[in-house]
Amino acid sequence: MRRDSILRCRWAITGTLLLLLISPAAAQEPPSPDELKELEKSLGRDRATARPDVPAAGGAAQSMNPDIALILDAAGAWFQSDAPLQTGGHDPRETGFNFQQLEMFIAASVDPIFRLESNIVFALFGVEVEEAFGTTLALPWGLQARFGQLLTRFGRKNATHPHAWHFVDQPLMLGKVFGSEGSRGLGVEVSWIPPLPWYVEVLASSTGAAGECCARSFLGGDSLDVDGLEDFLYTLGLKQFFDFGVDWSLLFGLSAQLGPNGSGLGNRTEIYGLDLYLRYRPANSTRRTAVSLQIEALLRARQVPDDSLVDAGGYAELVWNIDPSWEIGGRYEYGSGVDGDPLDPEWDEDRHRGALQTTYYPSHFSRVRLQGSVDLPLWRDAPEWSVVAAVELIIGAHGAHSF
Amino acid sequence: MRFLTCLAMVLLGAGSAPAKVRVVTTLPDLAALAAEVGGDLVDVTALAAPSMDPHFVDARPSFIVPLSRADLLVYNGVELEIGWLPPLLVNARNSAIQAGGAGHLDVSAAVRRMEIPAGRIDRSMGDIHPGGNPHFLLDPRAAARVASVIGQRLAALDAPHAETYLRSASRVAHMLDALARDGAERLARLPVEKRRIVTYHRSLTYLVDWLGLEVVAEVEPKPGIAPSPKHIASVLSTMRAQGVKAIFQEEWYPRSTSETLGKLAGAKVLAIRGGTRFEDGEKYSERIRKLISEVEDALGR
Repeated sequence: MRRDSILRCRWAITGTLLLLLISPAAAQEPPSPDELKELEKSLGRDRATARPDVPAAGGAAQSMNPDIALILDAAGAWFQSDAPLQTGGHDPRETGFNFQQLEMFIAASVDPIFRLESNIVFALFGVEVEEAFGTTLALPWGLQARFGQLLTRFGRKNATHPHAWHFVDQPLMLGKVFGSEGSRGLGVEVSWIPPLPWYVEVLASSTGAAGECCARSFLGGDSLDVDGLEDFLYTLGLKQFFDFGVDWSLLFGLSAQLGPNGSGLGNRTEIYGLDLYLRYRPANSTRRTAVSLQIEALLRARQVPDDSLVDAGGYAELVWNIDPSWEIGGRYEYGSGVDGDPLDPEWDEDRHRGALQTTYYPSHFSRVRLQGSVDLPLWRDAPEWSVVAAVELIIGAHGAHSF
Repeated sequence: MRFLTCLAMVLLGAGSAPAKVRVVTTLPDLAALAAEVGGDLVDVTALAAPSMDPHFVDARPSFIVPLSRADLLVYNGVELEIGWLPPLLVNARNSAIQAGGAGHLDVSAAVRRMEIPAGRIDRSMGDIHPGGNPHFLLDPRAAARVASVIGQRLAALDAPHAETYLRSASRVAHMLDALARDGAERLARLPVEKRRIVTYHRSLTYLVDWLGLEVVAEVEPKPGIAPSPKHIASVLSTMRAQGVKAIFQEEWYPRSTSETLGKLAGAKVLAIRGGTRFEDGEKYSERIRKLISEVEDALGR
């Protein structure tokens, strides 16, 4: 009853305002209130599919200057726990305002042979070179090399930056296994697309194995005492993509990362991963709707003095892009624990985390997100709830993302 | 022994037909033009499907396979494909089709572009392409220029057949110019008041220019900005005042508002097909002939 009167009142006010607003065109026979209602309804049905012409990657006029973009991520957060167990370096971490990052992206072709790409991240009290690497453009036989400071292409999410994520925080297993910044380091990667009828990519990279931030399952300290090839971290990957008609597609990958760990002379760590990305996007949809399911699973085995530690985990996230303006998503995460873990001594039992998010995109270059999460670390007494409202703004020419 | 001989023949390519020029186009309209110019000498692949909005194509890894083997990449340009083509191009590892390569062809350089913004622009002004309006493939006059430039590039890449490509491109260009004249003449027979239309988005600029139509209003208040009730009410008033009987839009834009406007103003909604059904063997000229008939029907010939 109350809702009905509110709706009636709203229609009356809207109708009156509309009539007032269009009064300068009154000579052109204004629509009747019934017609206005009908138009409003149809506008609601078309809601949001209305930014069709914007280049998704931002547009600068062609010039000799590189593409430069700035991406701001900031959030207001509430955590039930005084010590939330966020694992990502750019996650909201405390109740109150959180400056997640200001990312500067710069990229351009160097010459016909190389392309240079860099992501420099500013925090409130520091700057880090997240990535700065060259890519070859003209190697023969389907080969390509990247070299410099780079995120390894283990799985699907590790090689991407927070502005490409649907949720405001890093999946907990990536933080636990690779570190708060994900798996990255100085090194070189070679990939190959064999001459097959479908998309297959094989890759191998070698990077420095040191750093709590970026290789914590390996040499967690900052120094990398390289005596031989066995002291580097090796990442291997196999990716395959399948089209199922115009509407469905599937990307499937297997990854492995091998290297030394710091628990003792000759002790090694092995991480294995499986990733899957299933996407449904009907080509005939005028709302540009899409549904995607992304799953990553990781298994880690570490040699430690007198023992071998094995743990596993991963995440599954389902995201529905309702139209260009709205998106909703859900994510479930799991990470097992082991007794006597030197990296996470507290994490000796299973941990589950669930999250729901809704995102509004005012344009391609901004988004506002609301995410609610519940964290269940079984070694703590009770579930821990959190709510994050985050905003992201992009200016400049930012390169399009890969699939 | 026989097996080894067969294997050797396959590996060495003995007895195989002469290699065709492998052409990859971003859009099916471009694929249809390239296939018509190149004929049996080319093998053409279109990346986007005809019903896809070319601004928002998923950069599927499967596109990398034909791109990695392409001799020639033909794309629209003017940033129409900027949201998905650049990462594919980097991952294709094919120097021939990289910018500056002999197999890299941005056809927008060959056409007369409209609506090039003057002065300083930024994103607060809505969605503006700095290089001008990119939707020129709905105008067969522009497509004729595109066919010519594709022919020239094929002639450069495959010199032994240069004469064939140039002759074919000239034939296609003349045919499209004639088709354009025919369409314009047919529409010119309609009285001026019947040639007034409303469009959903400012993507039909070249079509309107070619056929001598007049856009009296757009459903979007600015390019890419969602229509408000106030704006729609004003569009309806304008349609009634000027007797507009048709709303034109491409098939990928939302239709509910246009259909309601059409019902209230007594106007037809024409959802223009996004691209040539190249995979079904349709030619670009056939698509344009159908388009002319649809426009005539919508305007009430």
